[in-house]
Amino acid sequence: MPGGTPAAPRASQALRLAAVALLVCGAAAAQAAADPTPAHAPQMQFLPPAPGTYQLQRIQRAPDAVLLDWRGQQRRLARLTRDKVTLLTFFYTYCTDAWGCPFARQLMAGLRDQLLSRPFAVGRVRFVSISFDPTHDTPEALRLHAGQFHADDRLPWEFLTARRMRELLPLLEDFGQDVRVENDEAGRPMRTINHMLKLFLVDRDGIVREIYALDYLHPAMMLNDIETLLIEERRPRASGR
Amino acid sequence: MKSCKGFLALTVIGALAFGARADETCNSPYMARLIKGQEQFVHVWTLGVEGLGDGSDKLVTIDVDPKSKSYGKVVSSVSVNTRGEAHHMGFTDDRRYLWAGGLENSQIYVFDVGADPAKPKLVRTIGDLAARSGYLGPHTFYAMPGRMLIGALSNSADKGGATGMAVYNNKGEFVAKYDMPKGEIGGVKGDGYGYDLAINPAMNALLTSSFTGIDNYRRDLGDLIKDGEAMKRFGGTMVLWDLKAMQPKQIFSVPGAPLEIRWSLKPGDNWAITATALTSKLWLVRQDAGGKWQAKEVGTIGDPAKTPLPVDISITADGKGLWVNTFMDGMTRYFDLTNPEQPKQTYARQTGRQVNMISQSWDGKRVYVTSSLLERWDKAGADNEQFLRAFQWDGKELKPAFEVDFTKEKLGRAHHMKFSARS
Repeated sequence: MPGGTPAAPRASQALRLAAVALLVCGAAAAQAAADPTPAHAPQMQFLPPAPGTYQLQRIQRAPDAVLLDWRGQQRRLARLTRDKVTLLTFFYTYCTDAWGCPFARQLMAGLRDQLLSRPFAVGRVRFVSISFDPTHDTPEALRLHAGQFHADDRLPWEFLTARRMRELLPLLEDFGQDVRVENDEAGRPMRTINHMLKLFLVDRDGIVREIYALDYLHPAMMLNDIETLLIEERRPRASGR
Repeated sequence: MKSCKGFLALTVIGALAFGARADETCNSPYMARLIKGQEQFVHVWTLGVEGLGDGSDKLVTIDVDPKSKSYGKVVSSVSVNTRGEAHHMGFTDDRRYLWAGGLENSQIYVFDVGADPAKPKLVRTIGDLAARSGYLGPHTFYAMPGRMLIGALSNSADKGGATGMAVYNNKGEFVAKYDMPKGEIGGVKGDGYGYDLAINPAMNALLTSSFTGIDNYRRDLGDLIKDGEAMKRFGGTMVLWDLKAMQPKQIFSVPGAPLEIRWSLKPGDNWAITATALTSKLWLVRQDAGGKWQAKEVGTIGDPAKTPLPVDISITADGKGLWVNTFMDGMTRYFDLTNPEQPKQTYARQTGRQVNMISQSWDGKRVYVTSSLLERWDKAGADNEQFLRAFQWDGKELKPAFEVDFTKEKLGRAHHMKFSARS
């Protein structure tokens, strides 16, 4: 077992877990008013390992692309997946699937609140959300969608879109992010973009260290993973990809 | 209209990248979009037989949609142009690709089944498992988000049963390796052997089982059984891992080579079941009221004195039933698992002279059986039937639906099955 900072006391960890569970349940309850089958975090019948007591795999290098931010300015993605721990996902602004983008947004907002309450994380973590639909999700649409989130330097949340679809495709392929448009019975495209919900956790060197799918979106464990990467930054660099 | 252009562009992505879906109650929980209705295709990873067709391992695709004109027929056969003991396979998390392993040559073949599941294409061969991990015999392919967890059977140093798990990302790049434990945990000493693996995300639990090395599984079965020393070199443990940390937490003594592992898929359930090949028992791995994991024998399969050799098992989606195939007597048995502590056999039928894999549809109404265990363990002469047989299951009787004779079709030995359908 790798060394590291002392593990958090179990009671403290359990409290954290409970707090995150409450937070996610709260978000789900808010969603319930609009959707008869509200999304919620998956069952978690375990106490996650303490931060710093385990190593996350070095899965792949986070791909690069030139994207646009809410101001319409070009941003190189590689610069937004370096020097901080980054939680990255793909979305589209008009998604109404309770188990899709709205759930990810609520979950990330909850994680953000938790991280901002932890001094060790402030200024060392960022979120990135990239639109699947560069045609509809213009910089202005991103600005409206982002709300207050993009303006907080303590935990920057970058909302990005591509200039055109052909520039987005290689990025999706490199991340291994599937996507398809749902068709109606006549084969005509509908306003639903089906995709497997994935969140990518990237370390400060730009390496994807964890990928969260729906069955794996345990907020308490995600917080521990982020803290594990922050602890790792204080150690000598490990070899590997 | 700008938005229409966007939709059109995304539609093109969809047409390029999607199509295949699969069900099967044994698939990784990280795979999305279960087919809960009629599967359209069954892919069969097939061992080549010298002198039969091209003699190579191949992915055979059979149309199983009763509404199709080619129902029950082979619609595709993709040869890998070599014979390396085709065995098991598994979908990537997005179901676009099917990874299939060779137990003899340790090659991993990646088939694109997303573009058109009726016409899989071999798109990549991964040949560095032994060099990167020291493991041989890639057996189980288990999807995790963005990567594949591979359970191996052997090692390149002594060809014995000590082995481990390797992780590759979906691009086919090696990520990590984890040796099976040989030390003592919880009073039980690990044997270092490996076979199947299965994950319960809600419990952060990874469970592994154990078999034997290439020095045994590539040996003629008749000779092997007579070799007392060799017969001692079979796994007798299961290991519970902390999935997040990939660290072994507990080792269970489960004598007799515990093979396939199936977690109950019922939400909230905290148990998995397995069958031991050599002792013909069902074992339950379950968390007790105190939170401690326990493994215990809960049932007998056939007459253990006759070594029926249970090979594959298939659990129903509600966790209340279990199919068990026994190779030697060709029997397919159904156990009522309403109380997993006391499985009860409620049905049995001989489905072949030798049977190995069994897969059921999500709704449990269709059951598929194949014949081959291992190249050098299959029976000889007339008993060496090679087939895929499809059955309808009404809860009382298995009724034959169709059959593909893999020898007559010059395909080879039919082994592992995976389902797919056009979306």
